[in-house]
Amino acid sequence: MTLLAFARGPALQAATLIMIAGMFWRLAGILLLRRRPAHAAARHSLLVRLSGGARTIITRTIPRRNFWPRVATGVSMSYVMHIGLFVILFAGAPHILVFHQITGLSWPNLPKGVIVIASALTLAALVALLVRRLNNPVLRLLSNVDDYLSWLLVFLPITTGILLSGETVAGYGTLLALHILSVEVLMIWLPFGKLMHVALVFAGRGVIGFNFARKGAAT
Amino acid sequence: MRDFNFLADDILVDALLAEIAGLLQIFLDDGVSGSIDLLGLPLSASCLAALEQQLGKGEITAVLTAAGTSEFRETSFPGVWWSSHADETGRIVAMLIEVAAVPEILLAAQEDMRRGHKRLLEATLVNKYRKRA
Amino acid sequence: MTQYAETLGEMLARRGFGRRSLLKFAIVMTSSLALPPGMAPVMAANLAKAKRQSVIWLSFQKCTGCLETLLRSSAPTIDALIFDFISLDYQESLMASAGTAAELTLRQAVAANPGEYLLAIDGSVPLKDGGVYSLTGGRSNVSMLEEFASGAKAILAIGTCAAYGGIPKAHPNPTGAAGVEDVISGKPIVNIPGCPPVPEVLSGVLVYFVSFGRLPDLDDRKRPLAYFGTTIHDQCYRRPFYDQGKFAKSFDDEGARQGWCLFELGCKGPTTHNACASLKWNNGTSFPIESGHGCIGCSEPDFWDQGSFYTSLAGGSATGWRNAGIAAAIGLAGGAAAALSARSKSSVPPEEKI
Repeated sequence: MTLLAFARGPALQAATLIMIAGMFWRLAGILLLRRRPAHAAARHSLLVRLSGGARTIITRTIPRRNFWPRVATGVSMSYVMHIGLFVILFAGAPHILVFHQITGLSWPNLPKGVIVIASALTLAALVALLVRRLNNPVLRLLSNVDDYLSWLLVFLPITTGILLSGETVAGYGTLLALHILSVEVLMIWLPFGKLMHVALVFAGRGVIGFNFARKGAAT
Repeated sequence: MRDFNFLADDILVDALLAEIAGLLQIFLDDGVSGSIDLLGLPLSASCLAALEQQLGKGEITAVLTAAGTSEFRETSFPGVWWSSHADETGRIVAMLIEVAAVPEILLAAQEDMRRGHKRLLEATLVNKYRKRA
Repeated sequence: MTQYAETLGEMLARRGFGRRSLLKFAIVMTSSLALPPGMAPVMAANLAKAKRQSVIWLSFQKCTGCLETLLRSSAPTIDALIFDFISLDYQESLMASAGTAAELTLRQAVAANPGEYLLAIDGSVPLKDGGVYSLTGGRSNVSMLEEFASGAKAILAIGTCAAYGGIPKAHPNPTGAAGVEDVISGKPIVNIPGCPPVPEVLSGVLVYFVSFGRLPDLDDRKRPLAYFGTTIHDQCYRRPFYDQGKFAKSFDDEGARQGWCLFELGCKGPTTHNACASLKWNNGTSFPIESGHGCIGCSEPDFWDQGSFYTSLAGGSATGWRNAGIAAAIGLAGGAAAALSARSKSSVPPEEKI
């Protein structure tokens, strides 16, 4: 079996199933944990509590003004990376094609030139973030295998994807196999490290907002 | 004919003209002829037309009828020939730029001349015998 | 078996074709083989001097499509004459004799050209159960291959079946089908894959062999570089549409009618090495993509087992919703178990203890 056939066949199936099982495991494992019982009565109705949760998901996308000077660099670079990645994944023709093949849904793509620019910015931001992590003494102290491995497993698909779309350095078949395999490794790792923030960031903000609304605090 | 257009026409035409000039120099120095296989290059139809236009027309057009028709046109540059070969159905099967005093295929081959000579002699002998009889 | 003494040049002259015809043929072949154009006179001179080349063709586990493609290719007169000259001494489907008479022809051909004949194979070689799944005159293909390969100058594996196992090798491969290269080692082998292969490729290889006495340059899969050095994608006339992001979304939609790229409809052009996009089929008439269907990758090994022909290269095998559901259920169960175990270990959260 060629590497490409393996990547598009058994590896893809295995990675998908592991990622699904892992994400459900992690979410169930967190949501079913014991929580501190709230003895006070709820200040607001369930609807207000839920909308509080939703509001918090949105309001916490931007740091509070008084924190801004300290966190501006990291947050900006991080947003460049995340938005760039969003553009590549959801506005790039080949990825829309993947979603279409899975779900049947399709939507218009952005021109290739836009994706090229987005890829360059994403890669630059990703590298800049690693440099920052290595140079900042506090971050370096706090960083562990999870941080560096997660970085690497995001770096590889982006890099192989750029080479593949440029059809350069190696043959198309080889580049495609490497790109798909790198995505599969990312998929397998995703539920078990900090990359699970793809789901948890929204869940976390939502729960905090819900609890704040319950207490009548601002959200 | 393949249809590529990811390279600008003028860049390719310039490169080809430079190569032809190089082949001409080699011929003038050493007497060695050279050719460029046009079908082996990623040239669009418009690029070929541009090249043809740049090379222009010379004094000679020769037509060869052997396993289909082939045409040899000297360009406005003496010694630079545009050769185009078609098979019996008229399909172009080869197209070359040849740099030579004359494309080799136009010269009569020794082997063919030998056979023709033999045939010619036989024709004369037969006639001689006929006259006697 | 009579061995003709006349050279190819003499035979052509007898038929009224002078040196110019042969030189023209050589010019065309040189271009097709991607050789420098200056090689044409050398090829013509070598062809003129060439003696008859014996070819023995053995058909194994095949559909006969490879032979048909060569027969149906309408070659110009001089090409046909030259290929008559390359003497097809033994070919079961074409020859008049059959049974023991045919076997005798085969023995005589081998005896008359020891170490000099080209062995052409089409069809895969079944290996399971002693090769009993394909027999000729009661004799297994693998046994015939081993015997006749030993006296051959070189072996041409014609078609994807002979080269890599092809369709018979598709999962679950009940006959244990294999390609020639999996059975024979120590002999020069040329793979000419394709289902069927482009006829001009075989012509090119034979002409090269007769002209230069050796096989053309091969890639790491033993395919002639001149024809298999690039992918369909690299030579495809629809490539500008791929580059511009113009894809047909379904067969016969507006994009398909405009002749847009067929990548999203499963075209395997980017990963398939062959000459279809440049040489095309039926004397340059068309090829699958030009006729509106994506490339199925038929000249690559195991092309039949790469998933659907209509799933693009950007996708792959789906797990199916059922399996996904099972995975989710397992995840839920595991996560719940982990959470419950955590819950039972801790009592009241520490902050509450005052």
